[in-house]
Amino acid sequence: QPPPGKPADYVYFDRTTAGFSEDAVQRAKAAQLKLQHYYKVAVDSAIERNTRRVDMERKLAADTMMPDDRKQRQLLQLGKKETAFLRLRRTKLGLEDFRTVKVIGKGAFGEVRLVQKTDTGKIYAMKTLKKEEMLKKDQLAHVRAERDVLAESDSPWVVQLYYSFQDPMYLYLIMEFLPGGDLMTMLIKYDTFSEDVTRFYIAECVLAIEAVHKLGFIHRDIKPDNILIDKDGHIKLSDFGLSTGFHKQHDASYYQRLLDSANGVVSPTAAAQAGRNSVMVDPIHLTMTSKDQIATWKANRRKLAYSTVGTPDYIAPEIFRQQGYGKECDWWSLGAIMFECLVGYPPFCSESTHETYQKIMHWQYHLVFPDDVHLSREAEDLIRRLITSVDRRMNVEQIRAHPFFYGVDWQTIRHIDAPFVPHLRSITDTSYFPTDELDQVPEEPQGADTSGANKDLAFLGYTFKRFTLNSNAF
Amino acid sequence: ASPVSGTSKPLFLCSPFVEAALVKGNFKPIVMLPKYVEVNEWVASNIFDFYQNVNMFYGVITECCTQESCPTMCAGSSLNYTWINQDRKSVQLPAPTYIDFVMTWVQNLLDDDTIFPTKAGRDFPQNFPSTIKHVYRQLLRVFAHIYYAHYHQILHLRSEPHFNSLFAHFLAFGREYELLDIKDLKGAPNAPVSVGPLWERWKEMGTLEG
Ligand SMILES: Nc1ncnc2c1ncn2[C@@H]1O[C@H](COP(=O)(O)OP(=O)(O)OP(=O)(O)O)[C@@H](O)[C@H]1O
Repeated sequence: QPPPGKPADYVYFDRTTAGFSEDAVQRAKAAQLKLQHYYKVAVDSAIERNTRRVDMERKLAADTMMPDDRKQRQLLQLGKKETAFLRLRRTKLGLEDFRTVKVIGKGAFGEVRLVQKTDTGKIYAMKTLKKEEMLKKDQLAHVRAERDVLAESDSPWVVQLYYSFQDPMYLYLIMEFLPGGDLMTMLIKYDTFSEDVTRFYIAECVLAIEAVHKLGFIHRDIKPDNILIDKDGHIKLSDFGLSTGFHKQHDASYYQRLLDSANGVVSPTAAAQAGRNSVMVDPIHLTMTSKDQIATWKANRRKLAYSTVGTPDYIAPEIFRQQGYGKECDWWSLGAIMFECLVGYPPFCSESTHETYQKIMHWQYHLVFPDDVHLSREAEDLIRRLITSVDRRMNVEQIRAHPFFYGVDWQTIRHIDAPFVPHLRSITDTSYFPTDELDQVPEEPQGADTSGANKDLAFLGYTFKRFTLNSNAF
Repeated sequence: ASPVSGTSKPLFLCSPFVEAALVKGNFKPIVMLPKYVEVNEWVASNIFDFYQNVNMFYGVITECCTQESCPTMCAGSSLNYTWINQDRKSVQLPAPTYIDFVMTWVQNLLDDDTIFPTKAGRDFPQNFPSTIKHVYRQLLRVFAHIYYAHYHQILHLRSEPHFNSLFAHFLAFGREYELLDIKDLKGAPNAPVSVGPLWERWKEMGTLEG
């Protein structure tokens, strides 16, 4: 008998997963989530596609000057782009689909290359990450989840990620190429910036970090190397959560070990080897106001950027403590970067990472503004309100309202002229990258599978790019 | 295997399972060819997704679909699909073998750049529409088998809203692009496809258009 109010064919079914393997239950759950995601995306893309078409049709209808055949051509062009985008969804890309133009950067886990997609001729930046060095497997999964969300962001402040694939050795990320280099390279070139120039970059960073936070992420590792310059001279933050999520060297425990065992030993490998036979030495503390020391630091700056240790110079103290941290840590990093822009070196830079770490932990004693550099009161005040304990650090509203940013139009800053606009001779111009320092790096990643036999099924049909009308992706 | 009480109707036609849906409302907006977009590309993209999705759900119940449980590719009490082998002979295969053949065959087509082109500037082959029809027909058989033989397992795993929506979307899509032959869905009078009546039920409910 059907219960009252239920149709005649109403049945009860006792559900149980008793007869299933753990694996099947897991897969069922995953399939449900994936299908849910699939339909959400399908509906969203249909809406977006429709909006793009209607917008274009309306714009063309309003244009009384344009001849009809040109209007027709523009609509067909839109259709072509939409069609190409659909095709991309089915496309499996591999290393053999790209040709290296030049090695342009080096990071902790691999290199960044300027590449050209062979069939379309389009230019991208390709970042390789050596799996072996990414150590923890489970963190890879975590990274993947972060990346998936990030890939859906359309923020102008974040470097766009178009695609990713892998072979047994490497994970490859295909990103938009930002031809202007990075802020680290710029700082090496210019030493310091004027307060006006600093205001521009720091203000853009404020908006970029805010955008990242709004996406629900904490960057944790904002440093000049991660601040990239686009063709118009505006900044974008490089893909984070991609590598930063599993930067083992930034783990609190790593620094703890470094602190405990090293006690003055400079390199982490040395620290690791030190073991119980380590010789205890008293670290020599050099004051960084000495011009020589700064020069040494600067000379080693890029080397540090290339090493797997990374530089802890911009990392907030709470990250090193085990007790957790929030998005405030990114504002500390910004303070350190601002200091460097105006003074010429970051506030806690030292001979060794260990010493830098010590200084950051005791920032109260080590945040010193050198006498020979003149800073405005507003600039120094802002830095002091960023490089401070979590409870006293300013939040984004307070930062935006700080007198240092007086006159900044937060709505339009991305559209005004940037202080340095790269002069580019071609779409493959790499003059803003230290390519001569990178000529040791091979054209192709070593040990990569170039046969194409290893295209990854896990990424099949997955694109990270949301379609945008003016996008040059693929 | 199905603990049906007081009715001989298959579970998937019974309330509340027949109404279960992940996607509510009409599929039209996601089925319709977007204006100015090339139809082959649109169909290819959707068939690609249907393949991935049905493969994913078959992967969930694959441990329940064995040579023993499903010695034939059945989709009704008197309906077993046959596979045409290399000698052009119709052969009976256990369902897991049959489905594996289908999936491997479709995967190979999808990977073949002359059939499903991915390189820029490369066109779809002349016979693309007929290839797609074949693919659609075989995927329909996989759906039909899962509904007929494994729906209770889908229920145990609480996946019926998802699987129903996937199938309804598949049917709506097939209808729109003339890939779906109603004869294939309903079967012959002496060998009906068990899932066939779902078409009428979903039309009545408004899930599918007339
Ligand atoms: N999309 C891009 N366009 C142009 N140059 C880039 C791009 N991404 C990275 N680079 C260059 O490569 C250098 C290294 O890249 P990146 O900082 O992403 O690597 P990494 O150090 O491994 O990353 P992480 O910040 O996780 O340590 C950058 O400083 C920059 O000069």
